[in-house]
Order: sequence, then structure tokens, then C-alpha cells
Amino acid sequence: MKHLDPRGRRGLSMPQTRRQFLGTAAAAGAAALAGSGTAWSAPDLAGVTLNLMVIQPHVTGGRIIAEAFGKATGAKVNVLPVPNDQIQQKATLDVQSGSNVYDVIDYWYGLLGALADDGTVIDVTDRIGKDFAGADLLPAIYDPYTLYDGKRWGVPYDGDSHVLFVNTEILERNGQKAPETWDEYLATAKAITEAEKGKGIFGTALLGVKQPFMIGCSYANRLAGFGGRFLDDAGKPVLDSDISIAAAQAMLDVAPYALPTPLETGFEQGLPAFLSGKAAMIEFWTDLGVNAQDPKTSQIVDKWNVVQIPVGGANKQHRGSLDAGFGLAISAGSKQPDAAWELIKFACSKAMNLELTLTPGTGIDPIYTSVLDSPEYRKAAPKVQAAAAQALHGALAWPTGASASKMLQSLADQLALVLDRSKTPRQAMQDAQASWLGIMNG
Amino acid sequence: MASPATPADRGLPGAMPGRSRLVPWLLAAPLLVGLAVFALYPFLDILALSLSKSSLGRPFQHWPILANFLSLARSEEFHAALLRTTIFAVPVSLAELVLGLGIALLLHSSLREARWVHSLILLPLMTPPMMVAVAWKLILAPVGGLLNGVLLGWGLADSPVSFLGTMPAAFLSIAVADTWQWTPFIAILAYAALQVLPDEVFEAARVDGASPAKMFWYVTLPMLAPTLLAIFLLRVVMAFKLFDLVYGLTFGGPGFSTTVASFKIWRTALQEFDVGLAASQTLVFAVLVSLVTLPITWLHRRSEEWAG
Repeated sequence: MKHLDPRGRRGLSMPQTRRQFLGTAAAAGAAALAGSGTAWSAPDLAGVTLNLMVIQPHVTGGRIIAEAFGKATGAKVNVLPVPNDQIQQKATLDVQSGSNVYDVIDYWYGLLGALADDGTVIDVTDRIGKDFAGADLLPAIYDPYTLYDGKRWGVPYDGDSHVLFVNTEILERNGQKAPETWDEYLATAKAITEAEKGKGIFGTALLGVKQPFMIGCSYANRLAGFGGRFLDDAGKPVLDSDISIAAAQAMLDVAPYALPTPLETGFEQGLPAFLSGKAAMIEFWTDLGVNAQDPKTSQIVDKWNVVQIPVGGANKQHRGSLDAGFGLAISAGSKQPDAAWELIKFACSKAMNLELTLTPGTGIDPIYTSVLDSPEYRKAAPKVQAAAAQALHGALAWPTGASASKMLQSLADQLALVLDRSKTPRQAMQDAQASWLGIMNG
Repeated sequence: MASPATPADRGLPGAMPGRSRLVPWLLAAPLLVGLAVFALYPFLDILALSLSKSSLGRPFQHWPILANFLSLARSEEFHAALLRTTIFAVPVSLAELVLGLGIALLLHSSLREARWVHSLILLPLMTPPMMVAVAWKLILAPVGGLLNGVLLGWGLADSPVSFLGTMPAAFLSIAVADTWQWTPFIAILAYAALQVLPDEVFEAARVDGASPAKMFWYVTLPMLAPTLLAIFLLRVVMAFKLFDLVYGLTFGGPGFSTTVASFKIWRTALQEFDVGLAASQTLVFAVLVSLVTLPITWLHRRSEEWAG
């Protein structure tokens, strides 16, 4: 998930690459685009207009898709942006009201259950079975992004996980190294903040705004690092477990050494602080690696590194958390589901995923193993590629049930009370557990 | 005394029996239809939703009737939001009324000719509320914020102050931003009211040797009271609906410390998607607003009688 709108380049000859790609897509029309490698014959969709709803950070990618798909099929694709936090209401109200504007929905995977339950998106189990059979979609994201109630409702589009970015210059200046564990992370943040706070430089930027995409991600990173999970094998919440409480405690412990103040630190505060060298560390989505090397948006070019999310407690195995992550689904209100599916196949194809992953500003990360391991991606973002590849193995998935958004907001509320010091981590996690049980039991 | 005969009774040409009773209804029909469409239907819809289990995508799933209201009765979080809203709306509106009246008096007495000042004070009012929130967020930000820059620069603070991440600073910050935005609204209405007060009364008071202070207390204020109370009533109702500043500045935090009723209802409906519960919250909230504004309405009526 991406939050900047960089206009820079990554050192690759991107304009040329993109022109070549678009030319190929348009001219060939039969490029091997389907994930399975099955030849995709561009259908003749002249005269067809499709409306693609995308979140704001995905606009650039959406436009690339629209242009390429238009050239290949003759269809006109309108890219309609919505704010990150309004996907569900926009998509649902569109169907509910009978407006039926959208054909394809760019959904956060945590909303999948609710969208399916409300009849906002349609079942694509058979379509996926036919057109993506054998596709090497990343195992860590395939089920969480698409599966609900035994059926598939969309196709992965943007594989997201957090990694830990560090400012190597600040670390070296303070005799620190990139942390391997949450204890080391705390010590590093403390040492840097105490040494450089007077100069306006802090050990870390902790995203703590009371929203699942912010404080929820900060917590999920620690939960994954400590080896915990949100739900047990039976689907029951385990937020009051010792591991869950330890993860909340780790978040609270570092708050005094973070950019002031975590409760007010969102993307728009944390990112500029890191990219301007005011924060030594930030847990963020992998595409930040692209922006960190862009002189137009970054003052820390060649002064950063990226490592995996630290481990904590008894856990010694590095593990990422699927913070955000998006798929594409057919809106139940679409009058042309077959054309909409063609657009999804095209947008979620291996070739397009690679193209978007390599293009700055699209905010798209790999969804295929072969894209993640591709020489192009390795060359373009070697540090990020390595960390992302490791992070996605066995990554912690967030809940995706019908009430997931309500549950995650409730968790974010309790975590904010921890940072606010209104509740202890134990109290907050016990209350979150009770809240989740209440929500799940209706 | 006999009632006056209708045209039909008098057998006038073109008059038809029964028509006379229909005409008023026909004339009122557009208004009645408008009210039914824009007021009655939404009210009935909210009422029905409040009695049902409804999500955004699937309204009226089943009818637990009072379950939503019982849930609200147990919800300390919602009670706190209602209390917080009242604590915000009444004092802040009162402060804005006092400030607005002060500015209006200043405009009326000293700056009558300075038209540019009139335009200037209207700027906050013309700023979209979300932009007000953005502007104040930039002013109050702990890192790079204007106010913290001044405090740190002048040595008044040794570390950044978290205006929006701590209490009571967060609540006060919203109150300040709201006051900045809405005081001009009151000022301009009060100024307009001052313009139409009869000069003869002031002339007579001056002849009687009344000081400016006495003129204000015994002449201006009593004559202005009905208008000021009407403005206050309007502003209280608007303040109860506070949303944009909370959304933009604190998102209801820290914790739930600035979660006011409108924000709570929005979250229930459009973040948790429990539309049935949000509808019941809306109805309870409407009752609260009515209860709080009743005394102001009564005072307004009395002040009109006194002024009359």
C-alpha cells in the first residue's frame, strides 16, 4: 500500500520500459498475460466502458492499466479513485443504491468478508479456477486475499507487507546497527532519541493514529515478530494471550523514543520524517524503498537500508505481517461482468504485476513468486526484494470475516488507549478480546 | 354573528360547492409533499432502521425491535460521547456568542466605515471545515508545527507539546479551532441586528446622561436579546453536529476523549457498518439536542415578550 505520489524514477529507464510494455500489450493482444501462463487473447471490447474503482495510492497504476487495456482491447477504462478508508461504503452504497457505477473494485483484503456477505462483489471461484489455475500467486497472500466462506471473491493485485527501514547514517553516527529483535529496536530508538532529540532527530517514527492501517499495522508487526496471531485454529480470538499482550507492551515501550507523538503520527507525518532524515527507523510498506532512492522525494538517497521486521519473546523466526494488501473483484452491480473479469485478468497478470512493481508511484508490490524473484525486481530494488521475499514467508494474515473491519477498528481503539496510557496493555488486550468475541457472536 | 358566506354559498358564477375547502390544501400541497419526501420519509426510514438489524449492504435483516436501544442504554462509550458533545456545544457556543457580540459592537461603533475589516473577519467562515482542520493540524503539529516552533524557539517549552495527542489539550484545541471558525458568523449576524436598532432610543438615553456601559446593559442588550438568543440557539444546534474538526484533528482521540456524538454515529454507520445501531444513536442524539435546546427556546420566547 503506498502513500506517496512520487514522480521520480528509480534509476531504471522506466519511460522506455513502459512504452515498450504498452506497445507490446497493444500490438500483441495475445501476450501471455494470464498468471498461469495461458495465452490471453485480447477480446474485442470496442465500445465497452468499464469503471475501475481504485484507492488513491493506486491511481498511477490504475491509469497504466487503463491505457494498456484500452490499447489491447479497445475498451475505455475510467479510473475512479476513492479514499483508502471509504472502499467498503463506496462499493456497497453503489450496489445498494442501484447506481451501479463500478465494474471492478480495488478492495483491501480485510474487507473481503464484508463485501461478500453484503453481496457487493460476486463469486469468482470458477473464473479463477479456469484462468488462474497453476498461477504462482504468492501462497502467503492467495487465500487471505481471495478466500471467504469457501469461495473466491477476487484476485490478488497488490501484495503488501511491512519491513523495517533504517537510516544507516543516523545508526552509524550513534554506533547502532539495524535491530534484529524488538528489544534491540527499543534500545536503538532510545539511544538515538536521547542523543539527537535536541536536533529534532528521533529513534523511530511509530505509526499510532487510531486507524487499523496505522496503529493496527504497528501492533501487527510486533504480534508477528513475537510469533503471535489474531485468531487460533478454531477461529477464536487470542488477543488476551501473553504474546498478544507482550506485543502491545513492546509498542508502548518505544513510544517515548518515537517521533512525537505516536498518537498523532500517520503516513503524512512519519514518511516525511524518515525521508528527511528526522527519524532513524520506520516500519513501512516495501515500496518505500523506491521512494527513498528518489531524490525528488528523499533526502536520504543511499543512506538507508531495509531489514525484516524484528523478532521478540521466544520467537526466533522472522515473519512479516500482511499489513494492507489489495485484490480486484467484480462489483455485483456491474452490467458487464465478463468484460470486468477480462480487466481483472489483465491487471492481475504476471506481466502487468511486474510492470507496475517496477514503476515508481504505482504503489504495487509483487503478487507472484516469479515476480518477487524476478531479475528485474532484484535489480530495481535489491534490498527491498530480499526483505520482502523473507517477510512474506508465513506472514501473519489479518482477520477477513464479515465483521473484520469492525473488529480491527475496535482493536485500534484499544491500542490507542494503550499509547494514551489510559489502559495497561493487559487491560486493553482483554477488552479487545471481549469486544471481538462480542462482535463475532453478533 | 353569521359567518361570511363563501362564493359557493352566494351562488357566484364559477364557484363550486366543496372547492373552497380544497383550495387551501391544493395550495399547501407542494409544501406538504416536500415535507413528506424530505422530512417524514427519512425520519420513518431512520425509525425503521433503528428497530432492525441492518448493515450498510443488507438493511432490515431482522427485527429485534428494542435491541439497538438496549445496547445504547448499556453503552458507556455512547453516553460519554453525548455528555462530551453537550459539554462542548453549550460553553463553546456561549464563548462564540460573547466574542461575536464584542466584534459586532466594535464594527458598529469604531469600524463602521472599514469595509475591508468586514470582509476579513468573514474569511474563517468561508473556509471549508476540513481545510480549517488541516490548517489547525499544521499549526498544532508536534513536529514542524507553527505553535510548537514558537514555543520551542522562545524557550517556553523544552520539548514539543502534543496538543492533539493529550487531554485536555486536544479538546481545547478543537474548541479553539471551532471558535476561530464560527465567531465571525455570530459577529456578522449580531452586527446586522445592531444596525436595525432604533436610533431614537439611544438618543433618549444619551440625553438622560447614560454612560456607554449603562447604554449597553440597559438599552442595547435588552433590545438585542431576542436576536442573540436566536443566534445562540442556531449555533448550539450547529455545535452539537460537530464532526469535521474532530475527524480532521483528532479522529476522536486520544483514546475516545474527543469522540463526540456525530463522530460516534459516523463511525458506527460507516466504519463498523452497523446502520441499525447508528440509526438508534441518531434518534437518541436528536432527543438530547431537543432537550438541551428547549430552555434556550423558552428563553428566546420570553425575551421577545420582554422586548415587546
